[in-house]
Amino acid sequence: MTPGAEAELVEELAQHLEDRYRESMSGGADEEDAYQTTVSELDDMYPLAQGIERNQRMARYDAVPAGDSGRGNWLEDGWRDLRYAVRTMWNSPIFVLFAVLTLGLGIGANTTVFTVVNTLILNPLPVENTAELEALAASDMKKSSKSAATYPISYADWKDYQARNEVFRSLAGYTAPRVVTLQESGESGRMFSELVTDNYFLTLGLAPAKGRFFLPEEGVVPGTHAVAVMNYATWQSRFGGAADIVGGTLRLNSIVFTVVGVAPPGFIGVNAVFGPDLWIPAAMAEQFLPNEMHNALSDRSKAVFQALGRRKPGITEAQAQANLSAIASRLAREYPTANEGHTITVRPIREALYGSSMGSSAQMLFASAALLMVVGIVLLIACSNVANLLLARAAARRQEMAVRVAMGASRQRLVRQLLTESVLLGLLSGAVGMFAGYAGLQLLFGTLPGAANFVTPKLDATVFGFALIISVATGFVFGTIPAIQASRASVSEALKEAARTTGRSRRRVTLANSLLVGQVAFSFLLLMTAALFLRSIGRAYQMDPGFQTAHLAVLMTSPGQAGYGKAQTKAFYKEVRERVARIPGVESDSWSSNLPLWARSVSGLQVEGQQPRSQADQIRSIVNIVDAGYFETAGVAIETGREFTNVDREDSAPVAIVNAKVAEDFWPGGNSGSRPLGKRIQIPGENKMRQIVGVARTGNYSTWGEAPQHCVYVPLEQDYSDAMTLYVRSKGSPEEILLPVQHEVRSAAPQVLAVDIRTGSQIIDGGLFQAKVGVGMLSVFGLLALGMESWRIRSISGGGRSGCAWR
Amino acid sequence: MAENLTDPEWKKGSAELLVLSLLEDQARHGYDISKLIQIRSGGALRFHVTSLYPLLHRLEKQGWIEGRWVEKPEQRRRRYYRLTAPGRKALGSKQKSWRDFVAVISRITGIEHA
Repeated sequence: MTPGAEAELVEELAQHLEDRYRESMSGGADEEDAYQTTVSELDDMYPLAQGIERNQRMARYDAVPAGDSGRGNWLEDGWRDLRYAVRTMWNSPIFVLFAVLTLGLGIGANTTVFTVVNTLILNPLPVENTAELEALAASDMKKSSKSAATYPISYADWKDYQARNEVFRSLAGYTAPRVVTLQESGESGRMFSELVTDNYFLTLGLAPAKGRFFLPEEGVVPGTHAVAVMNYATWQSRFGGAADIVGGTLRLNSIVFTVVGVAPPGFIGVNAVFGPDLWIPAAMAEQFLPNEMHNALSDRSKAVFQALGRRKPGITEAQAQANLSAIASRLAREYPTANEGHTITVRPIREALYGSSMGSSAQMLFASAALLMVVGIVLLIACSNVANLLLARAAARRQEMAVRVAMGASRQRLVRQLLTESVLLGLLSGAVGMFAGYAGLQLLFGTLPGAANFVTPKLDATVFGFALIISVATGFVFGTIPAIQASRASVSEALKEAARTTGRSRRRVTLANSLLVGQVAFSFLLLMTAALFLRSIGRAYQMDPGFQTAHLAVLMTSPGQAGYGKAQTKAFYKEVRERVARIPGVESDSWSSNLPLWARSVSGLQVEGQQPRSQADQIRSIVNIVDAGYFETAGVAIETGREFTNVDREDSAPVAIVNAKVAEDFWPGGNSGSRPLGKRIQIPGENKMRQIVGVARTGNYSTWGEAPQHCVYVPLEQDYSDAMTLYVRSKGSPEEILLPVQHEVRSAAPQVLAVDIRTGSQIIDGGLFQAKVGVGMLSVFGLLALGMESWRIRSISGGGRSGCAWR
Repeated sequence: MAENLTDPEWKKGSAELLVLSLLEDQARHGYDISKLIQIRSGGALRFHVTSLYPLLHRLEKQGWIEGRWVEKPEQRRRRYYRLTAPGRKALGSKQKSWRDFVAVISRITGIEHA
C-alpha cells in the first residue's frame, strides 16, 4: 500500500461511518441511537490495528499514526508532519495553486513596498555609523522650527564652519548633482557630477572600490587638480567595468579630467534616489558652474554647497547645533551682506537625503507607513480568503480527522500537523511573493531613465528576512482557526455535521460574510481614494499653468560647458534660433534660462520706493533671463506694456518685465494693471536699477499648481548666461519637430550638449510623476484586494460545493 | 444461529468468498458490500468497518480486486471495487471448494441443501 492509499483508507472508513449514520437516521432512529449504531462499528479496533501493523509503513509515514498521543520525538514528528503536508498538498494541486497565487500576490505587494522602505528609509546611506552624521544647511533666523526651509551655504562659509567648529571630527561640503558635458570623439554626452570638498569621502567613512579618493592638496588651489571619482554603477554601465578606468581620462566641460578612483557599489552620494556619475573636487567649481555662479569659491552670496559633518565622540546633536549657531551669528556679523538674518540648522543626515521635491523624512516615513498598512491589509484579505478555503477543506476532511481522533491521535498533534501544512503553504507563497515583489520592483524602478544614477532597490538580507517572517506569520494567521476547528472534530460531531450539511456550517458563513463586508468596504475605500487622486491628477492636466504646453518643445544647452566664451555663446544662441526657425512646422523659438516647473527663487529683489528690507526679510523672486520672442513662444500673456524686442540691447536702458503677482504686491490698488510701468526694480546680484516695461501673467514656475510666486524677466542681451534652454513653439504636434530641432542644434555646434529634448506634456508628466506612482500603487492594491474578494464571493455563493471542489 | 455466524472463525473462512461473489456481476463500494451482506443474510451476517476495509485492501493487494475512485456530480467521490481476471479465477476455485466442502458436510451430516 502506498502512503496515498493509506489516506484513502481513512477516507473510505469515514464515508462508511457517515453512510451508516445517515441510514440509521433516515430509518427513523434518533440521533443518539444512530450515533450508537455507528460508533459500535468501531468497537473492535483489533482487525484494523492488525491491518496497520501488517503495513509497517503506516506508522512510519503517517503524520499522526494510530495511538500517537503526542509524546513522540519533536524533530521526528516535525519531519513526519512535513512529509505528510507535502503529500496532502500534492493531492490538491488546484487548492494549492490558488492559495499560493493569492498569498504570493499579497506577500509580493508587501515585499515590494518593504524593499522601497528599506532602500529609501531604513538603509538609505551605505556608510558607517550614520547616527554620527549631521546635515548642515542655512535657514532663516526668524523661523526657529526645524522643519523650516533650508538653503545651501557658500563655500567660504563652509570653510569657516570647518575651521571654527569644535564639535565635528570633520566637516565636508557637497553640491547637488549638476549636468556636465562629456566630450568624446566629437560627440557630446550628458553626465551628472557633484562638487565635493576633498574630505567628503573621509567624512562619510567610505573606502574606494578601486583607486583612491581625493587628496587634501586637491582641495587647495582652485582649478589645478582635474581629478574625478566615478560612481560604481556608472563605471559598470557606461564604461563596461573597464579595468583601466583608474588613470583614464574624461573630457568634461572642455577640461581633461583624470579618474582617480571608483566609489563603493551602491553609493550615490548623500541622495536617496538620484545621484551623480562623478564627484569632482570643489576647487574645480569655477570650471563647472555656469557663468553666473563664478566666484562661488570666494563670494559668500553664491551659495551652492550642502554640508555634512561627523560628530566627535560624546558630542550630542544639541551641542553641535549650539556650537554651529554661535559660529553662524559671528559670520552674520562679519559678513552682513550675505549672512545677515541667516543661521544654520543641524539635522540628522537622513533629513538631507530626500531633497526638496520629496519632502522631509517624517513625510516619507508617514507615506511609507501608510503604504505598508495598505499592503498589510491586502495580505490579511488574502489570508482570510485562504483561511476560508481551508475551512471548506477542513469540513471535507472532518471525517478523516474524526477517525484519527477516534484512533487515539491527540488534538495537539492534529493542530500541529495542520499548521505544518499551512506554514508550508505560507513559505511556498513567500517564494512566489519574492518573485512577484522582484517583478514589482522592476516595474517600479524600471520606469526610471538613466539607471546608473538612480538608487538600486536593496533586495538584501533585511528584505529576505521580512519576506520569510511574513510568510511564516501568514501561514499561522490563515491556518490557526481552520486547524483548531478541524481538530475539534469528534466522531459524533463530525457525523452529525456531515448529516446536516455537506458544506460549511451556518455560523461560519455568517462570520465569513461579516468579514467579507469589511474587506469589500476597505477595497472600495482604496479604489475611491485612488479615483479621487486620479481625478485631481486629471484636473491638474487641464489646469492652466500660465504657459502653453500643447505646442511646446524645450531643450537645455550649456555652451559654456563646451568651452565657449561670451561672443561664441551669443553667436551660438543666434545661429540656433535662425536654424530652428527655418524648420517647417516651427512657429517660433526663443531662449530662457529656466526650464518650465524647475525654476528656483532667489532672495534679494529690491523695489524702488519700498523701504530697503533687512537681510532677514528679503523678497524672494524667480529671475528668468529670456530672449526676444520668449513670451509668444512660451505662451505667456503680456497683460500690460510690451515684451522684449531688439531695441533692448546691452548698451540700451536696463529693462525688466514683472509678473502680475509682483505688480499686485508692490503697486496695489484697483485696476493697478499699468501702474508698475516705468517703475524701477533691482534684481538680486545686480547693482543697477531696471525699468519695468511690461507685466506678464503669473504662472507656475517651480511646481505644478503652486501658490503664486514673484517673477522678474530680464532680456538675454542685458544679462548674459552661458547655459540656456531653447523653447520652440510648433504649429502642429511638438513630437514631429523634436528630432529636426535636435539635429539643427547639433549642426550649429556639435560640441554643445543637446540631449533630452522634451515636449510640454512630458514636462507635466515629470512634474506629476510621484503623484502618479502613488495613485498607481493604490489602484493596483485596491484592485488586487477587490479581485480577491469577488473570487471569494463566488466561492461562498457557490455554497457547499466548494468543499468538494477544492479537494 | 446468528451468534454463530458472527463468530470470527466462521467469517474468516467465508469472508473472501462473500466479497468476491458480490463483486462478480458489478463494481461496488465498501458500504454497498457491507449492506448487501447484511441484507442478504437477513441481518445474520455483519461486517464492521474495522474488518471490511483491511480485507478489501488485502484482496486488492493480492490482485484479486481493483479499487477505483469514482466522482459523480453533487456527490462525494467513492471507491468502487471490481473483480480482476485473477480474482475471477480465485472466485471460481473458492466457489468450487466451498461447494465441495458443503457437499461433503451434507453427505456426512445428512443435511440437504435448502
